Parts: sequence; C-alpha cells; structure tokens
Amino acid sequence: MGAEFADVRIESSTGTNVIAMDGKTKTLTSLRESGCGIRAFTGGAWGFAATNGLTKGSVTAAAESAANMAKVAKAKAKIQFKIVPAKAVTIREEYKAKEKTVDVPMEEKVEFVMELDKSMRSMDQRISSTNARYDDLESDRVVANSFGTLSRTKERWLVAACSAWAKQEGVVQRGHASNGSVGGYELMRTDYSHGLGMKAAEMAVRLLDSKPAPAGKHTVILDNIMTGLLAHEAFGHACEADAVLSGASVLEGKLGKKVADERISLVDDPTVKNTFGYFSLDWEGVKSKKHVLIENGVLKEFMQNLETGSRMGLSSNGSARSQAYNSTPIIRMSNTYIGPGDQSKEELFSMVKDGLLIKGGQYGYVEPAKGQFMFKCDEAYQIKNGEVGQRYRDASVMGLILEVLNNVRGIGNDFVLGDPGYCGKGGQSARTTDGGPHVCLDNIVVGGLT
Amino acid sequence: MDLEALAESVVKQAVRLGASDCDVIVTDAQAITAEIEKSSMKQASAVSDPGVGIRVFIKGCAGFSYCTGHESQAVKKAVSLAVSQSKSGTPDVDFKGLPEKAKPAKVAGLYEPKLAQLRHDDVVSMAIALSDRAGADRRITSVNAGVSVALGDIALANSNGFVGSQKLSAFEAFAESVARSNDDMFSGVDGGWSRRYDGRMLERVAETAKEHALLGLRKTTVKTGDYPVILDPMAAGFILATAIGGGANGESVQRKRSYLAGRLGKKVGSECFSVRDDPTIAWANGSFSFDGEGVPARKKNLVKKGMLESYLHDSYSAGKDSVKSTGNSSRGGSMWTYRRPPSISSTTLVVEPGDATPQEMLKDTKNGIYLRITYDYPNLATGEFSGLMMESYIIDKGELGPSIRQASMGIDLIEMFSAIDLVGKEAKDAYGVRTPSIRISKAKIAGSG
Repeated sequence: MGAEFADVRIESSTGTNVIAMDGKTKTLTSLRESGCGIRAFTGGAWGFAATNGLTKGSVTAAAESAANMAKVAKAKAKIQFKIVPAKAVTIREEYKAKEKTVDVPMEEKVEFVMELDKSMRSMDQRISSTNARYDDLESDRVVANSFGTLSRTKERWLVAACSAWAKQEGVVQRGHASNGSVGGYELMRTDYSHGLGMKAAEMAVRLLDSKPAPAGKHTVILDNIMTGLLAHEAFGHACEADAVLSGASVLEGKLGKKVADERISLVDDPTVKNTFGYFSLDWEGVKSKKHVLIENGVLKEFMQNLETGSRMGLSSNGSARSQAYNSTPIIRMSNTYIGPGDQSKEELFSMVKDGLLIKGGQYGYVEPAKGQFMFKCDEAYQIKNGEVGQRYRDASVMGLILEVLNNVRGIGNDFVLGDPGYCGKGGQSARTTDGGPHVCLDNIVVGGLT
Repeated sequence: MDLEALAESVVKQAVRLGASDCDVIVTDAQAITAEIEKSSMKQASAVSDPGVGIRVFIKGCAGFSYCTGHESQAVKKAVSLAVSQSKSGTPDVDFKGLPEKAKPAKVAGLYEPKLAQLRHDDVVSMAIALSDRAGADRRITSVNAGVSVALGDIALANSNGFVGSQKLSAFEAFAESVARSNDDMFSGVDGGWSRRYDGRMLERVAETAKEHALLGLRKTTVKTGDYPVILDPMAAGFILATAIGGGANGESVQRKRSYLAGRLGKKVGSECFSVRDDPTIAWANGSFSFDGEGVPARKKNLVKKGMLESYLHDSYSAGKDSVKSTGNSSRGGSMWTYRRPPSISSTTLVVEPGDATPQEMLKDTKNGIYLRITYDYPNLATGEFSGLMMESYIIDKGELGPSIRQASMGIDLIEMFSAIDLVGKEAKDAYGVRTPSIRISKAKIAGSG
C-alpha cells in the first residue's frame, strides 16, 4: 500500500473492577476488549487507524486507511525524515504471576474490597465515608512491524486503592492509600494490601487538626513520594524526546550540559521488577532498558522511541507505550526516581532551622514549554530547628525546571520507590511509579491559603 | 444495524437471566484527527469504536460489563458477565429503580451532518491552517496543534421500556504556540469545543495561542500577598468544572464528601454569581436530548444570585433523596462511551454573564493579577483551592503587564464565590463551562519575588 514503515498492535484484554462505598458494593465491572491499531509511515508523517474488529476484512480496511492517511499527511508535512531500520526481533514473554487474577473468583475480590471498606469504617468513629476499589487487567498483545519484529506480551497488572473521609466539627478531610504492581493476585494477599484501609483512614483522621499551608518561599524537605513526583514532573516529562523534537521542552539543546546539582542522578527504569511501572518490551516491540537521564547533575539522555531515535541519530531505548490498541504509541515514563545520596534523614532535618516537610503525593503536572511544574502533597509539617511541628494540608509545591534541582541542600540515603500511579499525556493514561530519597531544597514556592 | 433494536434485545436477554433492572448502551462511533508537531503535519488518524455496555441490577446491586463491537456472541457473554457480577455484590436498598419511560427532549444542534462529509484531507487542511495562523510571527518557533472530528450513533434502552437514540457530533481544536526570545521561551495554549464545525473558533484558538505565547515572554515575579484576581474563562472554567460540577454532585453530597453538603438554600456566593447546568444549548459539547439513563434533558439553576438552589442527581442519588433525577447521569464526555457505567456529571455549566468588557475589568481592577491558566483541582472535601498559576499576568495600572513565573493562588471556595465582585460579558466555553471572566476581590498569592 506504499508505506515506508508500518506496524500493528493487536490486543485482547479482560479485566475486573470492584468498587465499594460506605459498606456496600457500588459497581462490579467485567470488561472484554479486542481490536487492533495500525500505523503507516511515509516521508515524515504517520497515518493511524484502529478497529474493534479482528476479521481479515476489517483489519485490511484499517491498514488501507492508515496507508492512505499517511499519504495525505505526507503531502502536507514540512519536516521530512525516515524511520531507521531497527534490528528485527521475535520474542514472546509473559508477566509472571503465582496466582493469575483471572483464576480468582469475583466473590473473593469482592470480599477483599469489602474488608478494606470495613477496616476504614471501623478505624475511628469520625470516619464519615469510605471508598475502596480493586482493578485488574490481563492483556495479550502482539506487535509486528515491517522490519520483521514480532513480539507477543502477556501482560497482567492489578491495583487496590482506598479513600476515607473523616469529619469533626464541620471539618472534612480525606486520606488515601494504594498498592499495585504487575503480577498476580498474591499482591492482594500481603499484609500491606490488607492494611490499605487502615492507612487511608488514619491519614483522614490525622488531617482533621491540620491547618491550611502557609504560602510563600520555603526551605523544604520532600519525603520519598514527593521526591518521586518531583523527578516525574520537574524533569521526567521534559526528558521525553517527543517533547524535545516538538520544540516544547526547555531541555532542548541541553544534552551534555549541567542542569542540576552534581549530587543529583535522575533515572527512568521500566526494568524494575514487581513495580506498577514495569515493562520489558515496549509497545513498538523494543526491549526496555534503564535510562539515566541526569548523572551527577549533567543531562545525559532522553527517552526515545523508533521515530525520535531515528530523527536524533540514535536508537529507540524502548520508551514507547500505548494506553490500548486504539491509541498510538508515544514516549512515556515508567519507574522514575532520583537516586539516593549519602545523608541520613536526621542529618537532613538538622540542616533546617525554619522550613516545611512535604509528604505524600496527590498529583502533579508540568508544561515543559513554559518550564514550570507543580505537585500537590497530602500533608505538610512545620520544621523548626530540625523538629517537626504543626501539621498543614494540601500544600502545592511549584518551581522552574531549570532552577529547582540546582537548589539542593541535601539528599537522603533512604531510597524508596513509592506508590503506584497513572500518568496522563496526550489523552492516554500509563501506569507508573515514582520514588527517591528524602531531599532538602531551598527557595521553593509553596502555595497555600494563609 | 438497528442500534435501538440491539439495545432492546440485550435488555431482554439480561431480564431473562434474572436482572430486576437493566440498561444498555449501544454505540457506533468514529473519529478523525489531524495532529501538527513543530508546525509540520505529523499524523492523521481514524478510529472506529463500536461497542455495547450493559448495567444490571439484582437486589439493588449493580453489575456492569461491556464488549467491543456488536458481535452477538461477544454481547451474549457480556450480558452473562454483567448478570453474574450483580449477583456477587451486596444488596442495596437505596437503589429505587431506573428512570421511567419518558420522551426525550427536543434539543437542536446535537449533530452536524456536514461533519460526516469531511474527508481526512479536509481535517488535515484545517489543522494546517490552524497551525499556520498560530505561528504567524517570527518569534514563534514551533506550533503543536490538532483538530478532531467525532461522530456517534447512540442507542439506550432500559427495563422500564425506555428506548431512545441520538446522533452526536463533536468538533475540537487546540493549539500551542511556542515563542522564544534570547534564552527564554513561553507557550500560549488555547482550545475550542463545539458540536459543529466552527471556522471562527479555529481562528480564535490560533490567535489566542499566538498572542499568549508572545505576551508571556515578558516575565516577572510577584511577592507573596493578597491581590484582586481576574480569572480568564480558561481558568474559571477549569476551577468551576470541579468546584461546582463536582461539588454539587448529589452522591458526593449524600456521602458528605463535598463542601457543598448541608448548604442547599444557603448563600454560597455573592449576588453576581449565578450558575446553571444546561444540556439544551445548541451546539454545546455537553448537550443531549436524554441523559445516560434516558432522562430528558433539562436545564436547572445550581447557584442563583449566590444561593445554592440544587444538586445534580442521577436515578440512584435521586431515589435516595426521594427527589426526581435532574438528568445528570453521564456516559462520559461529549461523545458517549460504552466502556464505563454511568455516573453523575454536570453537562454545560453556564455562568450568568455580567456587563463588563475585558478592558473595563482590567481598568476597574487597576493593580492585581490576571490568571489565565491553571490545571489544579479544588479539594472538594475541604472546599479549598491551592494551585499553580501556570499562566498569569500582573495587572498594572489597568493594563496587562508581564507574565508571572513560579506563583500560586490559594483560596477557600466559598470565600472565592463570595468575593466575586465583577463578571464579564463575553463568555467562552472551556472545560465544560460557558463562562465569562470573573473577578475575585481578594485571593492569597504565593510568589517567588
């Protein structure tokens, strides 16, 4: 049909979702999906077509549509380039599971979720509302391309999450906790998973006496989760090569240059096993690998897919991911973290006379073209002469990509890869994990109400 | 294929298998998208996405299942799974039944046949024209943009005899213009949403993205303190979509998760703050003739002159409060999806316009902050907002000054609504909210200056 390069993702997925609220199940969902997405490339532009049908007729029609659209797009493309042939691989893999989620009866998953819900409500009489959920997905994905690659991945992941609301004298606060990973149902049989409800409820109750955060510039200590969010939002997105090539990253032209304190190393690593961000083959059939984005403060590498690697004179480093067959693969993070330093937590706290401890992440976002990012914590604490004091809530932390990691006062040695999360980009969602050690930063703007 | 007939037959299958109540959505949707990267045509896409979603109740317990496509064996399996799931959960006496059969409302402007006639190259040409216009300045070094056209046939049936169908269309565009000057860079973004092709919207998106990329190149910082703040429709829309749309969610209120719980009939804002929910606006992306459970579309006041007048309900939350559904059961976004069970959502929130022009608002404010873009969500439990001012400007002597870097706005939502003292007259659709600019007399700004 005339394409210079083409690839296809065929998927078949099943999954379940259980949601319980306030002691009752809300909805029990079972999903079954199948379909394929086909990309065709010609002279600097792509055509993409997706169909839910897997008959020969519907797949052929999708292929024709993709090829035709690539021609239409090519005719208008100002930037011309080629996809450099990559080594063809034939590979088959299956994510390991001791107990496959498809083999666990729905009743057992419901029982688990109801137990989480109950544990929140029984923790404290001030708990006024609860929400517990469980999700799993098992997907069989085949990727094939015109270079001869043929990969098949049997992927499975699961996640449980709890939210609790506590109420006292008209004040309402929310706490949350989650656990997730690739793998099997054995994860939900751990004490940690069974303790999620208690953890969420404790946070909600704890926050009842919190005050709104004090707005202004502060010295802050970020906990492991917030350091992970910093790594993800402040630098991770700006290191995605598609952002760089689109002219929308402040890191364009900075490769090999110092962008952070020399003690900072920042990594995205999809190969860390038993994490929510894990994958061993990306969605273009390329073997994944660890990416050291910043080493000793110097920008070393961007995350690449087949296209960006070709355009930058490099190879894909296995960073392409699609939410599903009906979305095109784009460059995504996986497990993103700042490497550990050599200071103990106690040393970090002793360095702060007047500042804030920022704990637990809600969400964050960045616009790499504006060079600004923010992330929001669950709770914050005043630090006075190294001692933790007054509790605050909902502080938002913000900064400039090219400044923030030059304001490092100290880096802890207590590395933790944190909670599971989802990252949104281009209308697609990807499972990720963030983490790092406690980190002390100066001159950080903290948003608040007082 | 007759989608209504398929939906009806699936309802019957579920009832035969033991469902006491059931609703079924059958969709047949297509979308064409053209994307521009760095001012060059990058990708044209066509996605076809037919499917069936089945929700079943047994003793009030909801089971949901869906399958991609309309193939009978896949649908049969999905029905059986939905029924089986609804047997696995807990009974719920708060479920009082699905909506009774009712005639869909007559709403004009849900579907534009002309959009169905567009070819891939038409959409590509629109995206290129958008990009060229958004980049028409030597300081603009890159434009990323996109245009998408979506069409959907939707049929809904329930076990109370409701059967209905509607055709929906959507036309969306966005542009990000990146400007550079010396060592600095800034991006201006804008988006447009409608159920019909709108050439003027494309022009406005392009011009606004370009204008703000250039405006943002002049930068400054601000000192921490209290300032009057004008919220551009983009910022007001983003905040109000959650603050009012999410805060007035009847189920969140019943579960006491919302700061608006217990405030019905009470003052929550100033006299000049009125908001209604309206699914009947011609060509608005949130419009429909019946909601995700088959309830006819109707508009309702949520806040009238500062008074909270109504919450948003679907059949479940309405039944629990012994009131009628407000028709706010959503099947997700402007183009409905079969992949999720319905949930409560606002349709198009409309902020009652005032009579001030943008220039009059700036002049009247004299010195303060103009917040154009934030992507932060209010905390609905506490009723507090604290978020990054992703794009904001100093208002200096009644004029827009340099853009502010590294600053945030924090405010209690009830205080924010009560502090609204000026409302503009030029409304814009942003994030499901049709709103003009609104001014807050005082908010806490944290800055790096």
